[in-house]
Amino acid sequence: MPSAAPDVPLDQAAVLAALRARVTRLEGFGRAQHNLGAVPVCEGLPLPGGGLARAAVHEVLATTPGCGAAFCAVLLARTGGTILWIATGRDELMAWPPGLARCGLAPASLVIVRAERWPDALWAMEEALRCPAVTGALLALAPPPGGGKLDLTATRRLQLAAEAGGALGLVLRPDAACADHTAAVTRWRIGSLGAGHGLDDPRWQLELLRVRGGRPGGPWAVTWRAATGRLDLDKEATATGATRHAAG
Amino acid sequence: MTARYLALYLPSLATDRIRRAEPGLPRSLPLATWEPFGNRRVLTAVDSAAADVGLRPGQALADAQAIAPDLLLRPADPAGDARALHALALWARRYTPLTAADPPDGLLLDITGCAHLLGGEAALLRDALVRLRQVGITTRGAVAGAAATGAALARARGDNPVVVSGIEAGVVAPLLLGPALRLPQAMLAELARLGLRRVHDLLGQPRGPLARRFGQDLLGRLDGVVGRRRVSIQPAIPPPDLAAIQDLLEPIITRTGIDAVLDRLLEDLCAGLRQAGLGARQITLTAWRVDGAVQEVAIGTGLAMRDPAHLRRLFAERLERLEPDLGFERMALEARATEPMAVAVQPSLAVGGRRDEAAMAVALAQLLDRLGQRLPVHRVAPVASHWPEHAVTAQDPHDVDPTVPPGWAAQPRPVLLLRRPAPLEVVIPLPDGPPSLLRLQGLAHRLHRVEGPLRLEPEWWRNRPNRFRRDYYQVELASGVRLWVCRTGLPGAPRWLLHGHLP
Repeated sequence: MPSAAPDVPLDQAAVLAALRARVTRLEGFGRAQHNLGAVPVCEGLPLPGGGLARAAVHEVLATTPGCGAAFCAVLLARTGGTILWIATGRDELMAWPPGLARCGLAPASLVIVRAERWPDALWAMEEALRCPAVTGALLALAPPPGGGKLDLTATRRLQLAAEAGGALGLVLRPDAACADHTAAVTRWRIGSLGAGHGLDDPRWQLELLRVRGGRPGGPWAVTWRAATGRLDLDKEATATGATRHAAG
Repeated sequence: MTARYLALYLPSLATDRIRRAEPGLPRSLPLATWEPFGNRRVLTAVDSAAADVGLRPGQALADAQAIAPDLLLRPADPAGDARALHALALWARRYTPLTAADPPDGLLLDITGCAHLLGGEAALLRDALVRLRQVGITTRGAVAGAAATGAALARARGDNPVVVSGIEAGVVAPLLLGPALRLPQAMLAELARLGLRRVHDLLGQPRGPLARRFGQDLLGRLDGVVGRRRVSIQPAIPPPDLAAIQDLLEPIITRTGIDAVLDRLLEDLCAGLRQAGLGARQITLTAWRVDGAVQEVAIGTGLAMRDPAHLRRLFAERLERLEPDLGFERMALEARATEPMAVAVQPSLAVGGRRDEAAMAVALAQLLDRLGQRLPVHRVAPVASHWPEHAVTAQDPHDVDPTVPPGWAAQPRPVLLLRRPAPLEVVIPLPDGPPSLLRLQGLAHRLHRVEGPLRLEPEWWRNRPNRFRRDYYQVELASGVRLWVCRTGLPGAPRWLLHGHLP
């Protein structure tokens, strides 16, 4: 039985794509039963799969509370289904639906859970991620004195739950110097750059600190335009920011 | 089927309760309770030992102590007695779902069709008397065809009779008026002056003059005890739509045992629900403890459910509240509220694409039920109000209300709001102008950019005093942090508050 003719040129691109897909499958995200595409973040960002993978847990470090919550709301709204917003601690800050609605998160699809005790919060997050009827769940950690500890075991459990249910899991935590190592698929840092040219179009600085199966990147400057519901990449600001980053 | 009633009379509930609570009290000494009545102190309840030495309720405390120097005294607790009676009415639901307290010292049970479960009415009555005596409550009882007849027989006769229906007038005729009709003391004395002491004396009198002289109430009671007027009882808890009951030969104490019994009850109840085409919205697990206490654990569901696995998970959290102590001897599962199962919540009946939707709706409802057992869970309903605190209200997580009032969330708004606005210190270069510097957690921040004001007037139609107009500014600190701050208070003395975080 002759093997394949040696003179047929290999379609390198196709082979690579097939291998990447196989590795992705082996690594466990985007399991076969969840055939919905990734959640887009922003055009022009080099992300594997073109966005945030569903059926996975992602971590967002927020340097200021407002921009972190808004960024998460934008991502959750793009999953297009029921959202669970799990707030932890005896927090004085509460999610405010009129503001979230401007980020695209309609009040009809939002369910708010408040967990004062940290084990309850983790349990609620795990249950929510495991439910096939939920498309996105957010666990918002309180600032350090009240916030619970999110370690490798806890995030691994959340990751397994998300793989079973197919929801997009987000963990929003304040940006601290010593963030524990977690099993999240990506880790982002978001900071505020102040309002842009439009009065209510805030500008954020996005940084991809860690990504499984990809290369970290950033910082990128992005503008959130509430009127069109788009997150736009600012080319020139990003270029200068990147050079400043490289210089620093 | 003719109605049958069991009446129980608890002559010394108040003192029995005290003896149960304080087991150290010597049995031989008389016991009584007292309460202040005007400027006197009078006895309100006496136990049998005290009654034997000649004490009776209504007597002055000083007289009583003179008659019986070793009398034990406790202050009366009418509210506690009423609670105990209600608890006993709940306990009596082991015999029939229709039980009622008959204040101040009786219980009424509608045992129509229930008696054969315990081998007849006499056996049921004996069982109730024995169980109450075991926990230290003196009881007399009677079974009759009318509730009031049973109550009269239990009070006026000491032999716990069981009387067939239809001969009420004959049985009550020889009874004394006082215990049979439960008349006030003054009326009894007046009747006695006329030579009317027993029920048959009254039955022989013309009704008109009796009503004129003693009121309609007397005739009402008389008609009740002779069975001329049917009185239905008001059950302590409305009877459940469906129930499953398990009697336990050996009292169970462990969580494993309770779980096993619950599993069996859930299977039974869900089979019953399936047969009736219903789903449960509210289920109560009632457990009778060996010492007579009754404990309840209730769960509610967002959709009509009859899936034993899901219901078991909802109960798992709550079972920790049961205190078995010496063990439970009987457990019952009752569906207190049921609804017909809609096609939308039965995935197996839905067709094609609807099947996925139905399965998702059930999955979401089950998730919300589970979360709701442990944590506060709510959805938000938009409200047409410009005042930030009133823009949304919490609603049941199972209701989906997508209507958003026009103009809602039109302003640039914060994504996070402080539950209680925090006071701020600011530097204002011009009077009534925007701030230029603010102090936050001890640090001064120069303001990079200020937008505003957005003036909100309080909602006068809500009638809340001490609400002032607010001027909201969106400020941006030099570090890029964007905050929502406002000026409020009286015009002469403004206060500055931090109210939210902008995106």
